[in-house]
Amino acid sequence: MEQTLHHELLTRFDSKLNSIMRLYLDTCARCGVCIQSCHVYASMPELKYTAVHRAEVIRKLFKRYFKAQGKFWPSLGESADLTDDMVDTIYQTAFSCTGCRRCMVHCPFGIDTQMIMSIAKDLLISAGREPKVLSMLADMSIAKGKSTTETRANFAQAVDRLRDEVLARWRQAHGEKAVPLEAEDANILYVALAGKHSIVPAAAIMNAAGEKWSLSYYEAVNFGAFVGNAEKTRIIAQRIIDEAVRLRVKEVSICECGTAYRVMRHMMGTLPFKVTSFIEVIARYLREARIKLAKGRIAGRVTYHDPCQLGRNGGVIEDPRFILSYLTDDFVELQPNRAENWCCGGGGGLVAIGEKDFRMRSARVKAEQIKAASPDIVCTACENCHTQLSDLVGHYKINAGVRFLTDMVAESLQE
Amino acid sequence: MLDKIYYVIMVPMVYAAVSVFVIGVISRSIRIVLAPRQKTTLQVFPVKRPAWFHALIDTFLLPTVRTIRPVMWIFAMVFHGALVLLVIGHLELIGDLRALQAIPHQVFLGGGLVGLALTVSLLFFLVSRFKTPYREISVPEDYFLLLLLLLTVLSGSHMDWAKYLSSAGFDIPVSGYREYLSSLFTLHPGVPAVIAESPHYVLVALHIFFANLFLLVFPFSKIMHTFFAIPLNLVRRGGIRGANTAP
Repeated sequence: MEQTLHHELLTRFDSKLNSIMRLYLDTCARCGVCIQSCHVYASMPELKYTAVHRAEVIRKLFKRYFKAQGKFWPSLGESADLTDDMVDTIYQTAFSCTGCRRCMVHCPFGIDTQMIMSIAKDLLISAGREPKVLSMLADMSIAKGKSTTETRANFAQAVDRLRDEVLARWRQAHGEKAVPLEAEDANILYVALAGKHSIVPAAAIMNAAGEKWSLSYYEAVNFGAFVGNAEKTRIIAQRIIDEAVRLRVKEVSICECGTAYRVMRHMMGTLPFKVTSFIEVIARYLREARIKLAKGRIAGRVTYHDPCQLGRNGGVIEDPRFILSYLTDDFVELQPNRAENWCCGGGGGLVAIGEKDFRMRSARVKAEQIKAASPDIVCTACENCHTQLSDLVGHYKINAGVRFLTDMVAESLQE
Repeated sequence: MLDKIYYVIMVPMVYAAVSVFVIGVISRSIRIVLAPRQKTTLQVFPVKRPAWFHALIDTFLLPTVRTIRPVMWIFAMVFHGALVLLVIGHLELIGDLRALQAIPHQVFLGGGLVGLALTVSLLFFLVSRFKTPYREISVPEDYFLLLLLLLTVLSGSHMDWAKYLSSAGFDIPVSGYREYLSSLFTLHPGVPAVIAESPHYVLVALHIFFANLFLLVFPFSKIMHTFFAIPLNLVRRGGIRGANTAP
């Protein structure tokens, strides 16, 4: 490896060594409790797919360059040199991990493999070896935030064309905007994904609740987080924060996108507004009796897949079940569920990168989990999970549909 | 010549090992404390309050280990429990720590059972590491530390077991060890005649030698989890709060 790059990579590594990262890298006992935690290992039992191995790849570099042990007795901890081959290993390690943090739940010390993988992803970016599609998508999001004047009019027109579809879900009083834009002092700034499936159902629900809301100009998805670029993650989220502050909204509600929710809710520091998942908003409307749902419109047995970033990493665990209790009496839990739920296998940017063959093979355990529950509908609340689960039911010939929870709620709205 | 080697092990090396241990642990802890702070929460959900209470349960009762590797959990609990008893049992030998001496010395050693429990647990951990997939995730440090602990425990436990196993017994009384450790503690070091003139002196010196080695590598090894387990579990439970930590 070229000397300058070597130095740059180690400088990047050093910059990631905050107090908790040091604790994570210093502590592992290699007890192996995390081995079975990873859905990739459970589906394809190879050592390289264990959480402990992933962390050890980075830990061996840490020992080599940042610990006395690696300098004076490198073989004791199998300290490793940073070489081109090592960068290849880092790539395989980082992008076979979906960052679901199921291993963190099981680790007796609570070591966060996703956090350790943030070093791996940062090194890959510095080496120019990250998946280019993710960097490109992140850059596009940032570019959109810089020059909005040309595209705002087009966006408003596109949103206007959704009016009839929103009204088909919930009829409004004449003159009210089906999808309000730029509404100052709104209670909620709803941040959707690019695609009407993420806007229409939510708009119908908020209109049914009589909410004063506004649709964000920006899409929620944060490709900066997927690629592991902390600065781009911040910039992409900051566009939405700036918009929310400008419009003086009380609450920013993130659509069904687990990563976008976790970034905004848990990673952006203290914000001058409340951050919620739209699932929490629906649950609130039901508790306050602001919307009514017709139980039974959703036919068949329903199960719920906890998106990792929304559930064990975001804290939205019981609200989806509360909402489903209004939609169906035929609900079955996946086993395991909640914090123990298996990752769908599509997180960490894998869906965006493509990698369909790996995604299908590495999520065999997820497919078996769904098959065991025998549902007619697999409901979830995350775009990534929805895409991955749709691919999975097709690949493993599971006779079940995959639906967004918000869409099921919108379909069940009643006067 | 041997007496000189034994003395080096029993006195200067003990001070050196304890110094490296204390300075190493403190300096590594300071390095972590002085590193930039994690600004956001890394907790996992659902939230369980109070966080400190659940972090302590995670640390001392290892609930996930019990579920996932129940046999290892039994040995881990036995090992750590026995280790605490042995540490107290050794501190009790320091004359100035009178509060600990309210309990008879043998209680902490359990009539040799505590050493036996540690030995069996360590053998289990060691054998486990030779089994797939644990063999593949192990590094030399794992075997080295287990062997070092095993040698320390065996050489130490022998002093206790010999009393029960041999009619000749083990001729060094507890008061001899108390005099030795107290002399180190009060900085008037010396090896009492009851130890130095015993035919078992070599075993005592070996025990101290292995213990010294263990203290010397402690701050540079994964055994630092002794001090880091609680803060890490607090992080997982949201007890060390970053911005936007769930209420």
